[in-house]
Amino acid sequence: MSEKRTILVIEDEKSISNFICRALTAHDYKAIPAFRGKEGLSLFYSHSPELVLLDLGLPDMDGMTILEELCALPTEVPVLIISARDRETEKVKALDIGAEDYIVKPFGVSELLARIRTILRRVDRIKLSQGTQKDVYHIKDLTVDIARHIITQAGTEIHFTQNEFKIMELLCIHAGKVLTYDFILEHVWGPYGSTSNQILRVNMANIRRKLKENPSEPKYILTELGIGYRLLDD
Amino acid sequence: MRIKFQNYYLQLTQTMHLLPKIPRNLIVTFLFLCGAYLSSRILIGHTGAENNSALVFVLAVIFISLLTDGFRYGIIASLIGAFCINYFFMYPYDQFSLNYAGYPVAMLSMLIISSIVCALTSLVKQQVTEARKREQKTRELYALNEKLNEEKNAIQIAAARETIRSNILRAVSHDLRTPLTTISGAASVLLASSEIASSEKNLSLVQDIKHDADDLIVMVENLLSITKIRDGTMPLNKQEELLEEVAGDALMNVRHRYPNVAIEMDLSDDILFLPMEPMLIKQVIINLLENAIRHSGDLEHISLHLFRQDHWAVVEVRDRGKGLSLEVSRAIQAGRQFERDTSGDSTRGMGIGLAVCQSIIKAHNGFFAAGNDPEKGGAVFRFGLPMEDLEL
Repeated sequence: MSEKRTILVIEDEKSISNFICRALTAHDYKAIPAFRGKEGLSLFYSHSPELVLLDLGLPDMDGMTILEELCALPTEVPVLIISARDRETEKVKALDIGAEDYIVKPFGVSELLARIRTILRRVDRIKLSQGTQKDVYHIKDLTVDIARHIITQAGTEIHFTQNEFKIMELLCIHAGKVLTYDFILEHVWGPYGSTSNQILRVNMANIRRKLKENPSEPKYILTELGIGYRLLDD
Repeated sequence: MRIKFQNYYLQLTQTMHLLPKIPRNLIVTFLFLCGAYLSSRILIGHTGAENNSALVFVLAVIFISLLTDGFRYGIIASLIGAFCINYFFMYPYDQFSLNYAGYPVAMLSMLIISSIVCALTSLVKQQVTEARKREQKTRELYALNEKLNEEKNAIQIAAARETIRSNILRAVSHDLRTPLTTISGAASVLLASSEIASSEKNLSLVQDIKHDADDLIVMVENLLSITKIRDGTMPLNKQEELLEEVAGDALMNVRHRYPNVAIEMDLSDDILFLPMEPMLIKQVIINLLENAIRHSGDLEHISLHLFRQDHWAVVEVRDRGKGLSLEVSRAIQAGRQFERDTSGDSTRGMGIGLAVCQSIIKAHNGFFAAGNDPEKGGAVFRFGLPMEDLEL
């Protein structure tokens, strides 16, 4: 690669910020640490990073405000949220505002690096395709043919209902990204459709049985407990 | 002295109130009139004077009006009394006569006096009952006030305790999690660096740091759950979840930390979708799996089953290890939260994990059971959560 990719780390805990930056530097990224929200925003505008790591609990301003500002920009720089474990609603809210992904404290370095790789790959893919949607998606031995409305697993066609197919299609389009329950409900059942996520969850349980997918060994669909689902694209 | 009299009076009226009202009043009236008649008879036999009988009857009327309801019986008694005196105790005896000088006056004055006495005593009586009612009301008000005060205090204390607890919670979560994240994260950065990895000794030291930091992180999560659940004052933040997703997440977490242990998970054909606090149930499953890994001595045949049994969504963790000691399984069956280190080193650390499990399941109105598999050997831990029937 010609140039190092820049990542802005907005995190008020110096020790955490320190090891994140060390890990990023060790893996050939250029890391810029910011310890305050305002500092983070000004560094964002002066360095135009390719990715932002954002801790929602900052001392000087609300992480959500920063997130809203970043997501409103036309540059569409992806934001990876760093959040505490027991704050499901906060994570869902951040994802719905437009955060690309989240990672839960305490997290490991390998987990963090994997998330960053996925996000950057996704962003690259979107840039390459320039908004045109694919007709056929391949995930391991699974083939999802959007145009012909057919899903095959290792060459064998699997029958899906209309809604199950729509869920799979949505997951494929956003492969690698966490989709919240509300996001999926809105895109599959429409904005005035079902308000309870029971119907989505039961559909997902059926999809899982058709794909012979065990949630403890996810091959295609990863469950983000209390938040939503993510299609594994690697 | 007055109070004593009042007490006797109260007791007397209370006993008498065991009888129905009208017969009681009639009996009282009749008895006192008889008494007055008899004593007048005795008096007239001894003294021969006629004047005493009027006083005796007035006395009887006073008692009657004291011990009956209202002044009606007193008036009736004084009428009868006046008649009796005239008839029995005034010349001519055993006949009614108003012909002698002074007799009508005596009769009339006797009537008036006893009526007034009657009215006065019933007034006094009324005041007594009213005073009693007032006193009782005051006492009730006082008791109520006292109770309200107590409740208010209890609420204040509970609120204060709640604040303290949430403060501790916040302190624990922030002050312990953050440094642990740093320790674990920094250790993994070191593990990835070539300088450390080249030296065998350093490598194993850093691996130990990482491993123990990760263990501590799990322990902090357990502590958080226990503070959250312990005395049941905190309501559960329940939401409907697919049990297989929660169990899957728990198992992935355990696999990540113990990559060398083989654990298989069986899905049920039923879709188990039920209300629970997912993070807590995940914690329970993690604890049970970890318990099997650390204490059963078997790392090959640990399994996790999910199934439906009547109205329960059941999770079962089995191993083929050495099984539970009698002590431990008895303690679990009794629903007791047993002490740590019940049987020495082998159960070290088991207490807190299983105690957390029991508390969490209890808060979900579920059941928790443990035992040994008599056929294949090894321990079986099982918990069930109540299911509502789905309308699909």
